[in-house]
Amino acid sequence: MKSLDSQCVLELDAVSLNYRSGRASFDGGIHRVLNSVSFKLYEGETLGIIGRNGVGKTTLLRLMAGIIEPTCGVVRRKPGKTASLLTIALGFRPDLSGRDNALLSAMLQGCTKSEARLYLEDIKEFSELGDSFEEPVKTYSSGMRSRLGFTTALLTRVDILLIDEVLSVGDARFREKAQSAMKERVMGDQTVVYVSHSDVQVKSLCNRAIWIKDAKICAEGSPEEVVGDYNAHLKE
Amino acid sequence: MSPGRYIQLVDEMARMELRADASRYLLGYVWWILEPALYVTVFYVVFKIVLNSGRGDFLVFLICGKFAFIWFSKSVTQASNSIIANKGLIAKLDTPKSLFPMVIVQQSTYKQAAVFVLLFVMLVLFGYEVSWNWLWVIPLMVTNYLLILACSFIGACLVCLIRDFKMVISLAMIFLLFVSGIFWDVRALEDPAIANAILIFNPLAFLLDAYRQVLMYHSSPDIGHLFALMVGSALLVWVLVAVMRKANSLLALKALTS
Repeated sequence: MKSLDSQCVLELDAVSLNYRSGRASFDGGIHRVLNSVSFKLYEGETLGIIGRNGVGKTTLLRLMAGIIEPTCGVVRRKPGKTASLLTIALGFRPDLSGRDNALLSAMLQGCTKSEARLYLEDIKEFSELGDSFEEPVKTYSSGMRSRLGFTTALLTRVDILLIDEVLSVGDARFREKAQSAMKERVMGDQTVVYVSHSDVQVKSLCNRAIWIKDAKICAEGSPEEVVGDYNAHLKE
Repeated sequence: MSPGRYIQLVDEMARMELRADASRYLLGYVWWILEPALYVTVFYVVFKIVLNSGRGDFLVFLICGKFAFIWFSKSVTQASNSIIANKGLIAKLDTPKSLFPMVIVQQSTYKQAAVFVLLFVMLVLFGYEVSWNWLWVIPLMVTNYLLILACSFIGACLVCLIRDFKMVISLAMIFLLFVSGIFWDVRALEDPAIANAILIFNPLAFLLDAYRQVLMYHSSPDIGHLFALMVGSALLVWVLVAVMRKANSLLALKALTS
Protein backbone atom coordinates (compact mmCIF):
# COMPACT_ATOMS: atom_id res chain seq x y z
CA MET A 1 0.00 0.00 0.00
CA LYS A 2 1.20 3.46 -0.86
CA SER A 3 2.20 5.44 2.18
CA LEU A 4 1.17 9.02 2.82
CA ASP A 5 3.62 11.87 2.58
CA SER A 6 4.60 13.27 5.95
CA GLN A 7 2.25 16.27 6.07
CA CYS A 8 -0.77 14.39 4.81
CA VAL A 9 -3.06 12.92 7.47
CA LEU A 10 -5.77 11.60 5.21
CA GLU A 11 -6.05 10.84 1.56
CA LEU A 12 -8.95 9.83 -0.65
CA ASP A 13 -7.76 8.09 -3.78
CA ALA A 14 -10.34 7.69 -6.57
CA VAL A 15 -13.09 6.99 -4.08
CA SER A 16 -16.51 5.97 -5.34
CA LEU A 17 -19.50 4.95 -3.35
CA ASN A 18 -22.59 3.20 -4.63
CA TYR A 19 -25.17 1.43 -2.61
CA ARG A 20 -28.26 -0.56 -3.19
CA SER A 21 -31.28 0.54 -1.26
CA GLY A 22 -34.58 -1.15 -0.77
CA ARG A 23 -36.25 -2.59 -3.82
CA ALA A 24 -35.11 -1.71 -7.30
CA SER A 25 -36.68 1.64 -8.01
CA PHE A 26 -34.33 3.29 -10.48
CA ASP A 27 -31.05 2.31 -12.09
CA GLY A 28 -31.47 -1.18 -10.62
CA GLY A 29 -31.92 0.40 -7.19
CA ILE A 30 -28.32 1.57 -7.07
CA HIS A 31 -27.54 5.00 -5.70
CA ARG A 32 -24.33 6.53 -6.98
CA VAL A 33 -23.24 8.96 -4.31
CA LEU A 34 -19.61 9.65 -5.14
CA ASN A 35 -17.71 9.05 -8.34
CA SER A 36 -13.94 8.85 -8.28
CA VAL A 37 -13.23 11.59 -5.76
CA SER A 38 -9.60 12.24 -4.82
CA PHE A 39 -8.06 14.76 -2.45
CA LYS A 40 -5.62 15.05 0.39
CA LEU A 41 -6.01 16.51 3.84
CA TYR A 42 -2.95 18.05 5.44
CA GLU A 43 -1.97 18.29 9.09
CA GLY A 44 -3.37 21.38 10.80
CA GLU A 45 -5.38 22.69 7.87
CA THR A 46 -9.07 23.49 7.74
CA LEU A 47 -10.68 22.17 4.61
CA GLY A 48 -14.11 23.38 3.63
CA ILE A 49 -16.47 21.29 1.55
CA ILE A 50 -19.40 23.02 -0.10
CA GLY A 51 -22.17 21.81 -2.32
CA ARG A 52 -25.92 21.65 -2.45
CA ASN A 53 -28.04 19.32 -0.32
CA GLY A 54 -27.75 15.67 -1.26
CA VAL A 55 -24.51 15.77 -3.24
CA GLY A 56 -22.73 13.44 -0.85
CA LYS A 57 -21.01 15.82 1.56
CA THR A 58 -22.06 13.90 4.65
CA THR A 59 -21.18 10.63 2.97
CA LEU A 60 -17.73 12.02 2.31
CA LEU A 61 -17.30 12.79 6.01
CA ARG A 62 -18.45 9.29 6.94
CA LEU A 63 -15.86 7.82 4.59
CA MET A 64 -13.18 9.98 6.16
CA ALA A 65 -14.24 8.94 9.65
CA GLY A 66 -13.95 5.28 8.65
CA ILE A 67 -17.61 4.62 9.38
CA ILE A 68 -18.22 3.27 5.90
CA GLU A 69 -15.86 2.00 3.24
CA PRO A 70 -15.83 3.09 -0.40
CA THR A 71 -17.19 0.77 -3.09
CA CYS A 72 -13.93 1.34 -4.96
CA GLY A 73 -10.90 3.47 -4.35
CA VAL A 74 -8.99 3.82 -1.08
CA VAL A 75 -9.18 6.02 1.99
CA ARG A 76 -5.76 6.24 3.63
CA ARG A 77 -5.48 7.56 7.12
CA LYS A 78 -2.21 8.21 8.91
CA PRO A 79 -1.77 5.41 11.44
CA GLY A 80 -2.86 6.33 14.96
CA LYS A 81 -4.95 9.34 13.93
CA THR A 82 -8.47 9.40 15.25
CA ALA A 83 -11.28 11.07 13.40
CA SER A 84 -14.67 11.97 14.72
CA LEU A 85 -17.77 13.35 13.15
CA LEU A 86 -19.50 16.29 14.74
CA THR A 87 -23.13 16.60 13.72
CA ILE A 88 -26.23 18.26 15.06
CA ALA A 89 -28.19 16.27 17.60
CA LEU A 90 -27.28 12.93 16.16
CA GLY A 91 -26.85 9.85 18.25
CA PHE A 92 -28.58 11.05 21.36
CA ARG A 93 -30.56 8.63 23.40
CA PRO A 94 -33.67 10.63 24.25
CA ASP A 95 -34.44 8.86 27.53
CA LEU A 96 -31.00 9.46 28.99
CA SER A 97 -29.97 12.66 30.69
CA GLY A 98 -27.63 15.15 29.05
CA ARG A 99 -24.93 14.01 31.46
CA ASP A 100 -25.31 10.34 30.52
CA ASN A 101 -25.34 11.19 26.84
CA ALA A 102 -22.19 13.25 27.16
CA LEU A 103 -20.48 10.49 29.16
CA LEU A 104 -21.46 7.95 26.54
CA SER A 105 -20.26 10.11 23.65
CA ALA A 106 -16.91 10.63 25.31
CA MET A 107 -16.54 6.93 26.07
CA LEU A 108 -17.51 5.96 22.53
CA GLN A 109 -14.87 8.35 21.25
CA GLY A 110 -12.24 6.47 23.16
CA CYS A 111 -12.13 7.83 26.70
CA THR A 112 -12.22 5.55 29.70
CA LYS A 113 -15.02 6.18 32.15
CA SER A 114 -12.81 8.13 34.55
CA GLU A 115 -11.38 10.29 31.75
CA ALA A 116 -14.87 10.93 30.44
CA ARG A 117 -16.02 12.03 33.90
CA LEU A 118 -13.37 14.73 33.92
CA TYR A 119 -14.88 16.27 30.80
CA LEU A 120 -18.40 16.33 32.17
CA GLU A 121 -18.19 19.49 34.26
CA ASP A 122 -16.57 21.39 31.38
CA ILE A 123 -19.28 20.17 29.06
CA LYS A 124 -21.96 21.24 31.50
CA GLU A 125 -20.43 24.67 31.86
CA PHE A 126 -19.71 25.37 28.20
CA SER A 127 -23.07 24.13 26.98
CA GLU A 128 -24.84 26.40 29.51
CA LEU A 129 -27.46 23.75 30.09
CA GLY A 130 -27.50 24.25 33.86
CA ASP A 131 -29.92 21.93 35.66
CA SER A 132 -31.24 20.66 32.35
CA PHE A 133 -27.98 18.74 32.07
CA GLU A 134 -29.48 16.18 34.47
CA GLU A 135 -32.81 15.99 32.60
CA PRO A 136 -33.58 13.51 29.82
CA VAL A 137 -32.57 14.79 26.39
CA LYS A 138 -36.13 14.25 25.12
CA THR A 139 -37.15 17.33 27.11
CA TYR A 140 -34.56 19.51 25.30
CA SER A 141 -35.31 22.03 22.62
CA SER A 142 -33.43 21.58 19.36
CA GLY A 143 -31.14 24.45 20.31
CA MET A 144 -30.25 22.77 23.60
CA ARG A 145 -29.57 19.49 21.83
CA SER A 146 -27.20 21.05 19.40
CA ARG A 147 -25.44 22.89 22.22
CA LEU A 148 -24.88 19.60 23.98
CA GLY A 149 -23.76 17.85 20.80
CA PHE A 150 -21.41 20.61 19.81
CA THR A 151 -19.84 20.92 23.25
CA THR A 152 -19.37 17.19 23.71
CA ALA A 153 -17.59 16.82 20.41
CA LEU A 154 -15.56 19.96 20.87
CA LEU A 155 -14.23 19.17 24.31
CA THR A 156 -13.25 15.57 23.72
CA ARG A 157 -10.04 15.64 21.75
CA VAL A 158 -9.67 13.99 18.37
CA ASP A 159 -6.95 14.36 15.72
CA ILE A 160 -9.23 15.04 12.79
CA LEU A 161 -12.47 16.84 13.48
CA LEU A 162 -15.12 16.35 10.81
CA ILE A 163 -17.82 18.95 11.16
CA ASP A 164 -21.20 18.70 9.50
CA GLU A 165 -23.11 22.01 9.48
CA VAL A 166 -23.09 22.53 13.23
CA LEU A 167 -22.42 26.19 13.49
CA SER A 168 -25.79 27.19 12.11
CA VAL A 169 -27.67 26.30 15.30
CA GLY A 170 -28.41 27.54 18.77
CA ASP A 171 -29.29 31.10 19.64
CA ALA A 172 -27.18 34.00 18.41
CA ARG A 173 -25.12 34.27 21.59
CA PHE A 174 -24.22 30.60 21.75
CA ARG A 175 -23.53 30.57 18.04
CA GLU A 176 -20.98 33.30 18.53
CA LYS A 177 -19.38 31.49 21.43
CA ALA A 178 -19.31 28.24 19.43
CA GLN A 179 -17.77 30.00 16.46
CA SER A 180 -15.01 31.54 18.52
CA ALA A 181 -14.29 28.23 20.27
CA MET A 182 -14.25 26.63 16.85
CA LYS A 183 -11.88 29.28 15.53
CA GLU A 184 -9.55 28.69 18.46
CA ARG A 185 -9.36 25.02 17.57
CA VAL A 186 -9.00 25.79 13.89
CA MET A 187 -6.21 28.31 14.44
CA GLY A 188 -4.37 25.80 16.63
CA ASP A 189 -2.99 22.54 15.27
CA GLN A 190 -6.39 20.89 14.92
CA THR A 191 -7.05 19.35 11.51
CA VAL A 192 -10.60 20.11 10.49
CA VAL A 193 -12.89 19.23 7.63
CA TYR A 194 -15.85 21.51 7.57
CA VAL A 195 -18.99 20.87 5.55
CA SER A 196 -21.41 23.67 4.97
CA HIS A 197 -23.59 25.46 2.52
CA SER A 198 -22.89 28.74 4.28
CA ASP A 199 -20.30 30.47 2.11
CA VAL A 200 -19.52 33.06 4.80
CA GLN A 201 -18.37 30.44 7.30
CA VAL A 202 -16.32 28.56 4.74
CA LYS A 203 -14.58 31.79 3.79
CA SER A 204 -13.90 32.85 7.36
CA LEU A 205 -12.79 29.47 8.76
CA CYS A 206 -11.11 27.49 6.00
CA ASN A 207 -7.70 27.56 4.33
CA ARG A 208 -8.83 25.54 1.36
CA ALA A 209 -12.15 24.56 -0.14
CA ILE A 210 -13.63 21.87 -2.34
CA TRP A 211 -16.92 22.12 -4.21
CA ILE A 212 -18.77 18.88 -4.82
CA LYS A 213 -21.25 18.64 -7.66
CA ASP A 214 -22.80 15.65 -9.40
CA ALA A 215 -20.81 13.18 -7.30
CA LYS A 216 -17.49 14.72 -8.34
CA ILE A 217 -15.11 17.47 -7.29
CA CYS A 218 -16.10 20.46 -9.35
CA ALA A 219 -13.54 22.94 -8.04
CA GLU A 220 -10.70 22.95 -5.55
CA GLY A 221 -8.59 25.84 -4.29
CA SER A 222 -8.69 28.92 -2.11
CA PRO A 223 -12.02 29.45 -0.32
CA GLU A 224 -12.62 32.80 -2.06
CA GLU A 225 -12.30 31.33 -5.54
CA VAL A 226 -14.25 28.16 -4.89
CA VAL A 227 -17.04 29.91 -3.00
CA GLY A 228 -17.16 32.54 -5.77
CA ASP A 229 -17.58 29.87 -8.45
CA TYR A 230 -20.17 28.09 -6.35
CA ASN A 231 -22.21 31.25 -5.81
CA ALA A 232 -22.00 32.11 -9.48
CA HIS A 233 -23.26 28.64 -10.32
CA LEU A 234 -26.19 28.96 -7.89
CA LYS A 235 -27.30 32.18 -9.54
CA GLU A 236 -27.34 30.64 -13.01
CA MET B 1 -11.23 -1.03 21.02
CA SER B 2 -9.52 -2.98 23.77
CA PRO B 3 -11.55 -5.73 25.49
CA GLY B 4 -11.38 -3.89 28.82
CA ARG B 5 -12.80 -0.68 27.38
CA TYR B 6 -15.40 -2.63 25.42
CA ILE B 7 -16.64 -4.36 28.58
CA GLN B 8 -16.68 -1.07 30.50
CA LEU B 9 -18.71 0.53 27.75
CA VAL B 10 -21.19 -2.35 27.52
CA ASP B 11 -21.71 -2.29 31.27
CA GLU B 12 -22.15 1.50 31.37
CA MET B 13 -24.55 1.56 28.43
CA ALA B 14 -26.62 -1.30 29.81
CA ARG B 15 -26.97 0.36 33.22
CA MET B 16 -27.86 3.73 31.71
CA GLU B 17 -30.46 2.08 29.54
CA LEU B 18 -31.97 0.28 32.54
CA ARG B 19 -32.16 3.51 34.50
CA ALA B 20 -33.82 5.30 31.59
CA ASP B 21 -36.18 2.38 31.10
CA ALA B 22 -37.23 2.43 34.74
CA SER B 23 -37.88 6.16 34.68
CA ARG B 24 -40.20 5.73 31.71
CA TYR B 25 -42.77 3.75 33.69
CA LEU B 26 -44.78 4.58 36.75
CA LEU B 27 -43.86 1.29 38.39
CA GLY B 28 -40.20 1.59 37.34
CA TYR B 29 -38.01 -1.26 38.57
CA VAL B 30 -41.03 -3.23 39.82
CA TRP B 31 -41.59 -4.25 36.19
CA TRP B 32 -38.41 -6.34 36.28
CA ILE B 33 -40.29 -8.82 38.47
CA LEU B 34 -43.85 -7.96 37.57
CA GLU B 35 -43.53 -8.61 33.84
CA PRO B 36 -42.34 -12.23 34.07
CA ALA B 37 -44.79 -12.82 36.93
CA LEU B 38 -47.67 -11.61 34.75
CA TYR B 39 -46.53 -13.81 31.87
CA VAL B 40 -46.64 -16.81 34.17
CA THR B 41 -50.06 -15.77 35.47
CA VAL B 42 -51.45 -15.61 31.93
CA PHE B 43 -50.16 -19.08 31.11
CA TYR B 44 -51.39 -20.44 34.42
CA VAL B 45 -54.90 -19.08 33.91
CA VAL B 46 -55.12 -20.50 30.38
CA PHE B 47 -53.60 -23.93 30.93
CA LYS B 48 -54.45 -24.74 34.52
CA ILE B 49 -57.72 -22.96 35.16
CA VAL B 50 -59.38 -22.74 31.73
CA LEU B 51 -58.06 -25.90 30.08
CA ASN B 52 -57.54 -27.74 33.37
CA SER B 53 -54.51 -29.47 31.92
CA GLY B 54 -51.16 -30.02 33.53
CA ARG B 55 -49.87 -31.53 36.68
CA GLY B 56 -50.10 -30.82 40.37
CA ASP B 57 -46.87 -28.85 40.49
CA PHE B 58 -47.75 -26.97 37.30
CA LEU B 59 -47.05 -23.50 38.68
CA VAL B 60 -43.46 -24.26 39.69
CA PHE B 61 -42.97 -26.27 36.51
CA LEU B 62 -44.17 -23.29 34.48
CA ILE B 63 -42.02 -20.77 36.35
CA CYS B 64 -38.84 -22.79 35.84
CA GLY B 65 -39.41 -22.86 32.10
CA LYS B 66 -41.03 -19.53 31.44
CA PHE B 67 -38.56 -17.31 33.30
CA ALA B 68 -35.61 -18.64 31.35
CA PHE B 69 -37.56 -18.47 28.10
CA ILE B 70 -38.45 -14.80 28.60
CA TRP B 71 -34.77 -14.02 29.14
CA PHE B 72 -34.03 -15.62 25.77
CA SER B 73 -36.94 -14.31 23.72
CA LYS B 74 -36.90 -10.71 24.96
CA SER B 75 -33.14 -10.40 24.52
CA VAL B 76 -33.02 -11.88 21.05
CA THR B 77 -36.05 -9.94 19.78
CA GLN B 78 -34.76 -6.64 21.08
CA ALA B 79 -31.15 -7.28 20.10
CA SER B 80 -32.19 -8.11 16.53
CA ASN B 81 -33.35 -4.56 16.16
CA SER B 82 -30.46 -3.02 18.01
CA ILE B 83 -28.07 -2.13 15.18
CA ILE B 84 -30.77 -0.31 13.24
CA ALA B 85 -32.07 1.35 16.38
CA ASN B 86 -28.63 2.88 16.91
CA LYS B 87 -28.39 4.38 13.45
CA GLY B 88 -27.78 7.78 15.02
CA LEU B 89 -24.62 6.68 16.80
CA ILE B 90 -23.47 4.58 13.87
CA ALA B 91 -23.72 7.59 11.56
CA LYS B 92 -21.44 9.53 13.85
CA LEU B 93 -18.79 7.16 15.10
CA ASP B 94 -16.93 4.12 13.93
CA THR B 95 -18.18 1.76 16.64
CA PRO B 96 -17.93 -2.03 16.79
CA LYS B 97 -21.41 -3.14 15.74
CA SER B 98 -21.44 -6.09 18.13
CA LEU B 99 -21.67 -3.48 20.88
CA PHE B 100 -25.38 -2.84 20.33
CA PRO B 101 -26.77 -6.39 20.61
CA MET B 102 -24.26 -6.96 23.42
CA VAL B 103 -25.71 -4.05 25.42
CA ILE B 104 -29.24 -5.40 25.04
CA VAL B 105 -28.21 -8.85 26.23
CA GLN B 106 -26.34 -7.36 29.16
CA GLN B 107 -29.33 -5.27 30.08
CA SER B 108 -31.69 -8.21 30.16
CA THR B 109 -29.13 -10.27 32.03
CA TYR B 110 -29.07 -7.72 34.85
CA LYS B 111 -32.85 -7.91 34.97
CA GLN B 112 -32.71 -11.67 34.88
CA ALA B 113 -30.63 -11.71 38.05
CA ALA B 114 -33.67 -10.30 39.89
CA VAL B 115 -35.95 -12.80 38.16
CA PHE B 116 -33.78 -15.71 39.28
CA VAL B 117 -33.99 -14.47 42.85
CA LEU B 118 -37.78 -14.52 42.50
CA LEU B 119 -37.54 -18.05 41.12
CA PHE B 120 -35.60 -19.27 44.15
CA VAL B 121 -37.98 -17.52 46.54
CA MET B 122 -40.93 -19.23 44.83
CA LEU B 123 -39.22 -22.61 45.03
CA VAL B 124 -38.62 -22.22 48.75
CA LEU B 125 -42.18 -20.97 49.30
CA PHE B 126 -43.53 -24.04 47.53
CA GLY B 127 -41.57 -26.27 49.88
CA TYR B 128 -38.65 -27.25 47.69
CA GLU B 129 -35.59 -27.96 49.76
CA VAL B 130 -32.52 -25.80 49.21
CA SER B 131 -29.70 -28.07 48.13
CA TRP B 132 -26.14 -28.01 46.81
CA ASN B 133 -27.54 -29.53 43.66
CA TRP B 134 -28.98 -26.13 42.83
CA LEU B 135 -25.44 -24.94 42.08
CA TRP B 136 -25.89 -26.64 38.72
CA VAL B 137 -27.88 -23.59 37.67
CA ILE B 138 -24.59 -21.68 37.36
CA PRO B 139 -23.28 -23.59 34.31
CA LEU B 140 -26.84 -23.64 33.01
CA MET B 141 -27.08 -19.85 33.21
CA VAL B 142 -23.69 -19.42 31.57
CA THR B 143 -24.75 -21.66 28.70
CA ASN B 144 -28.08 -19.91 28.50
CA TYR B 145 -26.29 -16.55 28.33
CA LEU B 146 -23.91 -17.67 25.58
CA LEU B 147 -26.79 -19.10 23.56
CA ILE B 148 -28.70 -15.81 23.88
CA LEU B 149 -25.63 -13.88 22.81
CA ALA B 150 -25.03 -16.03 19.73
CA CYS B 151 -28.67 -15.80 18.64
CA SER B 152 -28.72 -12.04 19.31
CA PHE B 153 -25.65 -11.44 17.14
CA ILE B 154 -27.14 -13.51 14.32
CA GLY B 155 -30.49 -11.73 14.60
CA ALA B 156 -28.92 -8.27 14.70
CA CYS B 157 -26.83 -8.93 11.57
CA LEU B 158 -29.69 -10.48 9.61
CA VAL B 159 -32.11 -7.64 10.38
CA CYS B 160 -29.46 -5.06 9.60
CA LEU B 161 -28.71 -6.63 6.21
CA ILE B 162 -32.32 -7.41 5.27
CA ARG B 163 -35.09 -5.77 7.30
CA ASP B 164 -37.57 -8.51 6.39
CA PHE B 165 -35.89 -10.84 8.88
CA LYS B 166 -37.60 -8.89 11.65
CA MET B 167 -40.87 -10.61 10.72
CA VAL B 168 -39.20 -14.01 10.60
CA ILE B 169 -37.63 -13.54 14.01
CA SER B 170 -40.86 -12.69 15.79
CA LEU B 171 -42.47 -15.73 14.18
CA ALA B 172 -39.51 -17.87 15.22
CA MET B 173 -40.02 -16.75 18.83
CA ILE B 174 -43.62 -17.90 18.77
CA PHE B 175 -42.51 -21.21 17.29
CA LEU B 176 -39.91 -21.61 20.04
CA LEU B 177 -42.52 -20.74 22.66
CA PHE B 178 -44.50 -23.76 21.54
CA VAL B 179 -41.72 -26.28 20.91
CA SER B 180 -39.49 -25.65 23.91
CA GLY B 181 -41.65 -27.39 26.48
CA ILE B 182 -42.62 -24.39 28.53
CA PHE B 183 -46.14 -25.44 29.47
CA TRP B 184 -45.72 -29.13 28.63
CA ASP B 185 -43.09 -31.65 29.60
CA VAL B 186 -40.74 -32.91 26.90
CA ARG B 187 -40.15 -36.07 28.92
CA ALA B 188 -43.88 -36.84 29.00
CA LEU B 189 -44.16 -37.08 25.21
CA GLU B 190 -45.45 -40.44 24.03
CA ASP B 191 -42.89 -40.94 21.30
CA PRO B 192 -39.39 -40.98 22.84
CA ALA B 193 -37.86 -40.40 19.40
CA ILE B 194 -39.64 -37.05 19.12
CA ALA B 195 -38.70 -36.11 22.70
CA ASN B 196 -35.08 -36.90 21.91
CA ALA B 197 -35.16 -34.95 18.68
CA ILE B 198 -36.55 -31.89 20.45
CA LEU B 199 -33.91 -32.03 23.16
CA ILE B 200 -31.13 -32.37 20.58
CA PHE B 201 -32.26 -29.88 17.96
CA ASN B 202 -33.78 -27.28 20.22
CA PRO B 203 -31.09 -26.18 22.68
CA LEU B 204 -33.65 -24.08 24.49
CA ALA B 205 -35.83 -27.12 25.22
CA PHE B 206 -32.76 -28.89 26.60
CA LEU B 207 -31.91 -25.93 28.85
CA LEU B 208 -35.44 -25.50 30.20
CA ASP B 209 -35.64 -29.20 30.95
CA ALA B 210 -32.23 -29.06 32.62
CA TYR B 211 -33.32 -26.19 34.89
CA ARG B 212 -36.25 -28.34 36.03
CA GLN B 213 -34.10 -31.42 36.55
CA VAL B 214 -31.78 -29.40 38.76
CA LEU B 215 -34.28 -27.28 40.67
CA MET B 216 -37.31 -29.54 41.02
CA TYR B 217 -35.96 -33.08 40.93
CA HIS B 218 -32.55 -32.68 42.52
CA SER B 219 -30.84 -34.47 39.69
CA SER B 220 -27.99 -33.30 37.51
CA PRO B 221 -28.39 -32.31 33.87
CA ASP B 222 -26.94 -34.35 31.01
CA ILE B 223 -23.38 -33.14 31.54
CA GLY B 224 -22.00 -34.09 28.14
CA HIS B 225 -24.87 -32.40 26.36
CA LEU B 226 -24.56 -29.28 28.51
CA PHE B 227 -20.82 -29.06 27.97
CA ALA B 228 -21.18 -29.46 24.20
CA LEU B 229 -23.85 -26.77 24.14
CA MET B 230 -21.73 -24.41 26.22
CA VAL B 231 -18.60 -24.84 24.12
CA GLY B 232 -20.59 -24.73 20.88
CA SER B 233 -22.30 -21.47 21.86
CA ALA B 234 -19.04 -19.91 23.03
CA LEU B 235 -17.35 -20.79 19.74
CA LEU B 236 -20.27 -19.39 17.80
CA VAL B 237 -20.09 -16.13 19.77
CA TRP B 238 -16.38 -15.89 19.07
CA VAL B 239 -16.86 -16.48 15.33
CA LEU B 240 -19.74 -14.00 15.16
CA VAL B 241 -17.77 -11.25 16.88
CA ALA B 242 -14.96 -11.79 14.37
CA VAL B 243 -17.38 -11.74 11.44
CA MET B 244 -19.03 -8.56 12.71
CA ARG B 245 -15.65 -6.92 13.09
CA LYS B 246 -14.80 -7.85 9.51
CA ALA B 247 -18.14 -6.62 8.21
CA ASN B 248 -18.18 -3.50 10.38
CA SER B 249 -18.46 -0.92 7.62
CA LEU B 250 -20.83 -3.03 5.53
CA LEU B 251 -23.17 -3.20 8.53
CA ALA B 252 -22.83 0.57 8.97
CA LEU B 253 -23.67 1.20 5.32
CA LYS B 254 -26.66 -1.11 5.50
CA ALA B 255 -27.91 0.42 8.74
CA LEU B 256 -27.62 3.91 7.29
CA THR B 257 -28.95 3.36 3.81
CA SER B 258 -31.51 0.61 3.57
